[in-house]
Amino acid sequence: MSLEPFNRLVKLAARAFYDDITMKGDNQPKTGRGDNRGIAVVVLDALARLATVVSLTQLRQILHVLILFNISFLALLFRSKSGVSIHPTTSAGKYNMTKPRKNCNNSCCYLHLFHTQQKIFYRRQWVREEDLAKALKLHSKQLRRILRFFEEEKFVTRDHRKESAKGAKIFSAAVAAATGEGHQTGKEGEEKVKMHTHSYCCLDYAQIYDVVRYRIHKMKKKLKDELDSRNTVQTYVCPNCGKRYSAFDALQLISFTDDVFHCERCDGELVAESDKLAADEMGDGDDNRSRRREKLKDLLKRIEEQLNPLTTQLSRVKDLPVPDFGTLQQWEARASAAARGYGEIDPNDANKSSQVPGYGGTPMPSLGDTKVEVDLGGGVKEEAQPEGKPVKAKVLPPWMIKEGMVLTKEQRGETSVEADATQETTIDDKKQTDMMDDKSLKDEYYKAYYDAYRAKLQETQAIKQEVRVSASDDLFGTTESSHRQVGMKSKRGDDDNDDVEWEDDQPTVDTGNAGTSYKLAADLNMEAKESEEEEDDDIDWEEG
Amino acid sequence: MRFLRSSLRRSERKRRKRARREERREKMFFHIVLERKIQLHPRYFGPHLRDKLVAKLMKEVEGTCSGRHGFVVAITGVEDIGKGLIREGTGFVTFPVKYQCVVFRPFKGEILEAVVTMVNKMGFFAEAGPVQIFVSNHLIPDDMEYQAGDMPNYTTSDGSVKIQKDCEVRLKIMGTRVDATEIFCIGTIKDDFLGVISDPSAAS
Repeated sequence: MSLEPFNRLVKLAARAFYDDITMKGDNQPKTGRGDNRGIAVVVLDALARLATVVSLTQLRQILHVLILFNISFLALLFRSKSGVSIHPTTSAGKYNMTKPRKNCNNSCCYLHLFHTQQKIFYRRQWVREEDLAKALKLHSKQLRRILRFFEEEKFVTRDHRKESAKGAKIFSAAVAAATGEGHQTGKEGEEKVKMHTHSYCCLDYAQIYDVVRYRIHKMKKKLKDELDSRNTVQTYVCPNCGKRYSAFDALQLISFTDDVFHCERCDGELVAESDKLAADEMGDGDDNRSRRREKLKDLLKRIEEQLNPLTTQLSRVKDLPVPDFGTLQQWEARASAAARGYGEIDPNDANKSSQVPGYGGTPMPSLGDTKVEVDLGGGVKEEAQPEGKPVKAKVLPPWMIKEGMVLTKEQRGETSVEADATQETTIDDKKQTDMMDDKSLKDEYYKAYYDAYRAKLQETQAIKQEVRVSASDDLFGTTESSHRQVGMKSKRGDDDNDDVEWEDDQPTVDTGNAGTSYKLAADLNMEAKESEEEEDDDIDWEEG
Repeated sequence: MRFLRSSLRRSERKRRKRARREERREKMFFHIVLERKIQLHPRYFGPHLRDKLVAKLMKEVEGTCSGRHGFVVAITGVEDIGKGLIREGTGFVTFPVKYQCVVFRPFKGEILEAVVTMVNKMGFFAEAGPVQIFVSNHLIPDDMEYQAGDMPNYTTSDGSVKIQKDCEVRLKIMGTRVDATEIFCIGTIKDDFLGVISDPSAAS
């Protein structure tokens, strides 16, 4: 559970630093009763709590309800470390899902009520502030003030965006902690779309770690400097006009009448500003100085021992990977994609399909498909496409291309090997967060991948040759029947030729990429088909 | 996003680097080549033009301070005198002159000896050549107390050490403020081996 130590860190830090923060302004009276100190700790605790897995008791309740309604389901708690996961398909009604996340070991329970309702128990990293206020029973203004304070302290990141009421519901759907969220309000654009600004907040663990360390470091440094008398540059303040001078200005401040510094403006006597922590009550005598030192040392010791649990937690957390949830858009897209990946037919979401990476305007209503998601570089494309624009045809990787699919050349990847990214599914958005990777790196990756694959293929040519040749005929037969007939014959002819060419070209090792991409497509084609043929007879391969 | 971890290391590295730099730069005198444009009145044109030019240069430059290079202590030689350009409207001619000179620039962390010029309740002022240094009272050892009088001074409790006008003290530069034409320093005598070197009263 990678979040748990971080949440503990947040709680410890909240109690260490913010337990006496009051949210009342300076002018307002702070009565013994109405001070509301410690509310900041409550808020941080709530955010940390919301980011963890839902409790098992809640889970049990829901299970109970479902049993009552006599709906079969399968709930699987699955731990997933990698970003790519492959699941065998099952017939309708049973859905397994993992929610692979970057560096995430957390379990996610996903219950799917087919055709009726859908409950996703999801971690709410991004929380709408109104929801939080309701949950904590705080006034939203108060909560907003607290969150603003934490934003300045760099504990929390906030995002404000104008959304219509529908957009806000999308968020709720993405979170979907409660039922009744499936508002099926149909048409858009007819009604007036009022854009309200909704605010969302999320704990920023990486920054929290850094900020807490920095604070402790600064505290100790200040005390140590005080102790070693390393306060180098003295500052002087004029009590009359409040003007501040530093020791560097001393030349302008000397007066010939007496031996004290005078202010340039008002000629008032300057006071040396000592930021000595222990100096205030005492005078300036000799033994007072040693007493001051003792006080400072005592302070330092007390800091060490009282912050000890926090520092141990910091050291524990030091080596763990930091949970990172991305921006609000990314997280939301991930969440709704996860929801949608299992056939959630929701017109709201469908309208916003272009928001979600991987769908790109071509909805995938097929349920329970084998979804192998390799989200390489898809994210880059996604960013470039704003909402609503038509999407150009995606290039399918060669192993996706089955015989008889009516695809454009572009989709076959003949144009460029590099554009070989598919977003059939976006269960895994691990790569999406790597959106910032250079395209060149990806290209090299593809090339290396395909080179390696090709080499491997060429190794096993001889063995599989006959099998493939015989299988190809079968495949042609079967696929032909199940797919559209448009242009089938010509395609088939091409494919036949491909086979022949492919066999001929076996011995030659192609080095250039462009010329052989199509051949390679054919190779991988066959390979993929053969492996999947036994399993997925009923699969309706849609064109991507 | 572990920016602070690496930046802490970076700041440590910076501190060490600065310390090393300061050690290397203990010598605050430099011998460098500077360039300046000297304007010469036509009355000086003649067979001794070059000498007149150099004299004017020395008069103009020696003793001045530039924030970047420090105080120009002395010109050691003239490297090159370029072609003179006659200014329009006046008969003055501008010569670009390259010259070698010794400059003095104090750096933070440097230790140097200075002569006390003024003692104040807030500290004392000292001069190390052309540069003025101020030592504020919180950077004076705690056992030294200010004593007013016609010769204000700082004295230890047992009276053994006295800082007054015309004393020589060894101090360490804590910071420098560099203007365009002025350098001013803050110093301390609180560290080891710093403080009074010689007393003016000892001589008398």
